[in-house]
Amino acid sequence: MITGMDRLAAAIQGKKSDRIPVFCNLIDQGAKELGMPLKEYYSNGENVAEAQLKMRERFGYDNVWSLFYVGKEAELLGCKELIYAKDGPPNVADFVIKTHDDIHRLEVPDDISAHPAFQETLKCLRILKSEVGGKQAICAYVTASMTLPALLMGMDRWMELFMLGPASVRDELLEKCSDFFRKEITAYRNAGADVCVYANAFGSTDFVPMRLFRELSLPQMEKDLKPVGIDGVVYYCGGARMNAVLEQVIDRLGIGAYYLSPLDNISEGKKIIGNRALTCGVINDIMLIGWTMQEVRDEVRRMLDAGMPGGKFLFGTLVMPYNIPEENIRAMLETAYEYGACVEEATS
Amino acid sequence: MLEDVITAYNEAVFDTDRERALKVIHDAVDRGVSPEDVVFKVVIPAIEQMIKSISESFDANLAQHFMTSQIAAEVTEEMLARFRKAPEVVGHIVIGTAQGDLHSLGKRIVIGCLKSLMIDVTDLGVNVPPEKFVDEAVARNAQVIGISAMMVHTARGENGCIMVRELLRKRGLEDRIKIIVGGAPYRYDLELYKTVGADASADDGITAGRVIAGLIKEVRR
Repeated sequence: MITGMDRLAAAIQGKKSDRIPVFCNLIDQGAKELGMPLKEYYSNGENVAEAQLKMRERFGYDNVWSLFYVGKEAELLGCKELIYAKDGPPNVADFVIKTHDDIHRLEVPDDISAHPAFQETLKCLRILKSEVGGKQAICAYVTASMTLPALLMGMDRWMELFMLGPASVRDELLEKCSDFFRKEITAYRNAGADVCVYANAFGSTDFVPMRLFRELSLPQMEKDLKPVGIDGVVYYCGGARMNAVLEQVIDRLGIGAYYLSPLDNISEGKKIIGNRALTCGVINDIMLIGWTMQEVRDEVRRMLDAGMPGGKFLFGTLVMPYNIPEENIRAMLETAYEYGACVEEATS
Repeated sequence: MLEDVITAYNEAVFDTDRERALKVIHDAVDRGVSPEDVVFKVVIPAIEQMIKSISESFDANLAQHFMTSQIAAEVTEEMLARFRKAPEVVGHIVIGTAQGDLHSLGKRIVIGCLKSLMIDVTDLGVNVPPEKFVDEAVARNAQVIGISAMMVHTARGENGCIMVRELLRKRGLEDRIKIIVGGAPYRYDLELYKTVGADASADDGITAGRVIAGLIKEVRR
């Protein structure tokens, strides 16, 4: 029987398949699946693995997540306090960096795999690997060095340091964050992650002007990725648009998959990427809370019409808010399975 | 001469070059341009130019918004200290992030712009309970409450804008105080601000300045 990994491999290579790969990012919904509060749910990697496996089995999409919540990375660097909500991801409440001296003092753990805050993630990954390894794509979320400081000091203060300096302090922080990124992605890969979503809002010209993208973002991304390679890496700008930078990123970094913003024009993105990489069309899933099932189906069809011609296309979701009605999740997925069926060999 | 100053300042702000923008202003003052003209004929038109550009689909980015607002606030503060008489204040807003939300960048951009537009701002900080928004707005005689939310559950949650609207309704304050919301979820769902009971939303921190000025005018009419 064809698996999610088979579909993903076929899409990357532009080969025939029964349908396009479909990635669905159900994260906080795992707590609902197991009938427990989010804080309890995230306290144990076995919970996360169990819910990921159950939801994938129930809905039939092609990936599972080892991501608990994005603030986990801040915990690996010393954050001690999160604010939990009953219907959304926890927020970092205690910023590790409050002064520039904290940047000088920031220590990157030598071995992420041995870090206490990574143990539940490892437990989750071990279960996922033993249950669906090689069959479904096991995903990890790894924040780029340019965006990680926002989790450590708040986006407000990071933007201030980034734009107003002092440059030496900014560069010291970027250096440490890049070191952390390389160690973290290595830890995830060693533990069995197949797909590493490289999250970088600063890799979009929605965040920084093109001049700074060229002068700072691109070299910094090279620093992150060159030593560890781009195997399984997916370029993702945290929901910000990327069509304007695709050409340069493909040229300089050679990443094999691009997870567009829902605000990007899919046809345009696909045209730029062409046969050089996998185009991932991403639905504006915030709208799934209020859309009718027919509106959901219409939107998925529109997206597939724009992205499927020529092959090398994946359908994906963005943040999948907790309160999306299940019938809309089903309507989205069933439409993607139906209209994404019978993929032909990629054409140039 | 003023036209050259305006052009040079706009270019520096567009390039996110704070040093150059400040130099343009300081040189202008040295050459005899009044602090009043700097604020009303250079800084405020520059913000309005940015708003116009954004509305015409010019792809301004977050860094440009941030720098536009920070430079404008810095110049305005410096010039206000040199004004011959204090300028008339347009109105007052209390602003904060919704309960459970600690993302403060958008709020900071809005505050910087409002300072330059002569709108008094009370910053309530982050993770603000709905009661505090209303109590502070009443205490400070504010015409507008600004609620920033970066996450779907804080934008839509019952302790965010929805509860602030409910409190205004219960206390009979809806004609006196308007609500504006902003943040990523409102960019992805353009009708969401109505769903949560706000009077308006703004796509970005710079545009928010103009929308807030409009709401103040509406209350004062």
